[in-house]
Amino acid sequence: MMIRKRRGPVLVLVLILLLAFLSACGGAKPVSAPAQGGEASGKPITITGAGATFPYPLYSKWFYVYSTQVDPTVRFNYQSIGSGGGIRQIMAKTVDFGASDAILTEEEKAAAPDLRMFPTVAGGVVVAYNLTDAGGKPVGKGLKLTPQALAGIFLGTITRWNDPAIAQVNPDIALPDAEIAVAHRSDGSGTTFLFTSYLAQVSPEWREKVGAGKAVNWPVGIGGKGNEGVAGVLRQQPNSIGYIELAYAVQNHIPYAALQNREGNFVEPSLDSIVAASNAYAGEMPDDLGQLLVNAPGKDSYPIAGYTFILLYQDMPNCLKASKIHDFMVWALTEGDGYARELLYAPLGEQVEKKVIAKLNTLTCEGGKPLPGK
Amino acid sequence: MEKPYAVRKATSHLMAALTVLSAGMSAGLLLLLLVYVVRQGAAALNWDFFTKNPVPVGEPGGGIANAIVGTFVVVGLAALFALPIGIGSGIYLSEFGRNRFGDVVRFLADVLSGVPSIIMGIFAYVLIVARQGHFSALSGGFALGVMMLPVVTRTTEEMLRMVPDSVREAGLALGLPRWRVLVHAVIPAASRGILTGVVLALARVAGETAPLLFTAFGNPYFSLDINQPIATLPHTLFNYAISPYDDWHLKAWGAALVLTGLVFIASLLVRLLGAREMST
Repeated sequence: MMIRKRRGPVLVLVLILLLAFLSACGGAKPVSAPAQGGEASGKPITITGAGATFPYPLYSKWFYVYSTQVDPTVRFNYQSIGSGGGIRQIMAKTVDFGASDAILTEEEKAAAPDLRMFPTVAGGVVVAYNLTDAGGKPVGKGLKLTPQALAGIFLGTITRWNDPAIAQVNPDIALPDAEIAVAHRSDGSGTTFLFTSYLAQVSPEWREKVGAGKAVNWPVGIGGKGNEGVAGVLRQQPNSIGYIELAYAVQNHIPYAALQNREGNFVEPSLDSIVAASNAYAGEMPDDLGQLLVNAPGKDSYPIAGYTFILLYQDMPNCLKASKIHDFMVWALTEGDGYARELLYAPLGEQVEKKVIAKLNTLTCEGGKPLPGK
Repeated sequence: MEKPYAVRKATSHLMAALTVLSAGMSAGLLLLLLVYVVRQGAAALNWDFFTKNPVPVGEPGGGIANAIVGTFVVVGLAALFALPIGIGSGIYLSEFGRNRFGDVVRFLADVLSGVPSIIMGIFAYVLIVARQGHFSALSGGFALGVMMLPVVTRTTEEMLRMVPDSVREAGLALGLPRWRVLVHAVIPAASRGILTGVVLALARVAGETAPLLFTAFGNPYFSLDINQPIATLPHTLFNYAISPYDDWHLKAWGAALVLTGLVFIASLLVRLLGAREMST
């Protein structure tokens, strides 16, 4: 009797096991078959990309608008796994396009000589702070910093807020006699790349001791992962300073400093001052389009800015996908400006835009064929 | 050198009180977390949230239907992979594995269960994604399955061990072959315990983000194709949480609530199963 009664559960268990075995062995193939035939039968084709976190909100907007309003036969799946990840994945060819905030290094170019960079928008890195003045009131916007003071703070040579290097250019703020808590990114990031590239340009000492890169050996400070990590450190640490993306600072109402640019003007980071920097450098755009916008000339230029790039192979493995990507890119660069501004990304200036589109038109597919319909 | 009775009694009470306090704190923390997630996430919940796909910043509406379904797909694939192998090896370990090989398997299973989840993701990436040349739900399921495997193996073994040997002896004494004793007496006696372990393992891996970053990859669209990238709840939550937008933060809380709810329901199911076992 005992054995009879227990038969139910065991039957179920055996059934589950059997089912599991069967579907594990036979299930995978039939399911995959329609996916490959799907492209021909009018199902939208999916283009996969991965990379930089910084342009993710804008890209997702662009992709959404493009596939709902412009070309419903294409869908984009973009995952923000970070610039370094984006470069790696496009090099491993697990994605159709990569995205990066940092320009390709010489090693990366050597490893993937066929990989091209296409700037899409520019963004700025702001120096954000959490500061209370000597009277105990929080300092909102309005702090000014010279390149020397900024380098000194991040080098650890300037350690107090009332240091003359800071106080001299901020006569309106009663700077406290407090120690400066420095926050930086702990993960490899395009933001760090721009920020350290800038410091390396303006400070020989920084160039020599620390250098520029997606991750560096910080002389001082506490690390935070991502913009949100640095912002978190800033929130918790009184009298702290760090660097984050402009869009992040604006969205989260974090005060940021005006920086002294090459012409000696103190410029607040904004879309206009970033566009000014990009225009000031437009004439010097190199042929591989990998340009940094740090320490730009021009009186209205904000000094820490950079493009974010989409990475594509000069000769793409699939003609259909290649032409879809090409068309999307041209649309984004021309029609997509409004969405960019709305989300606090600086669209490309006219001169740069022309250069990027000209280069997009040189793309080929499947071993040197011109893109279909071009 | 005995301490006076009053002192011993006081110490005893104090210590007992401390354990009550600890128990209260761990329960309280959990409750606090639940209440917090519900309070933050409830505002995000509406019909669209469960039935629509995500929309970008600034577009009204949108939901996480793709991620809810994706989580079930990926966890289902993980179960397909881990349950047969895990339960099978659990049976082996308990019934036949009292030897050197069994010890090695047991040790390896324990090591495997301690391996950080991100490593599982990288493993699946190298083994499946890099070879196939694209991300897929399948590779995500595999990564989670590898995570589940040692848990299922060891729970199955423990549960079968708890079946007294007298049951096995009784079966054998009746002249049943060994496999019949196993299938008809030992495994049924342990089946609820095994199911409990399985559900807990499923609930556990359902909340994993790290193994999915480079495998299931994520997908803003609804997908059931196991050879394509797929969205999952923890991954969607992660993406929304690190964004700078309030709207997305709210959706992250909503996703957290849905995920917590699913795990909660799974645990409740386990409780019910356990209760039924008590009553029979």
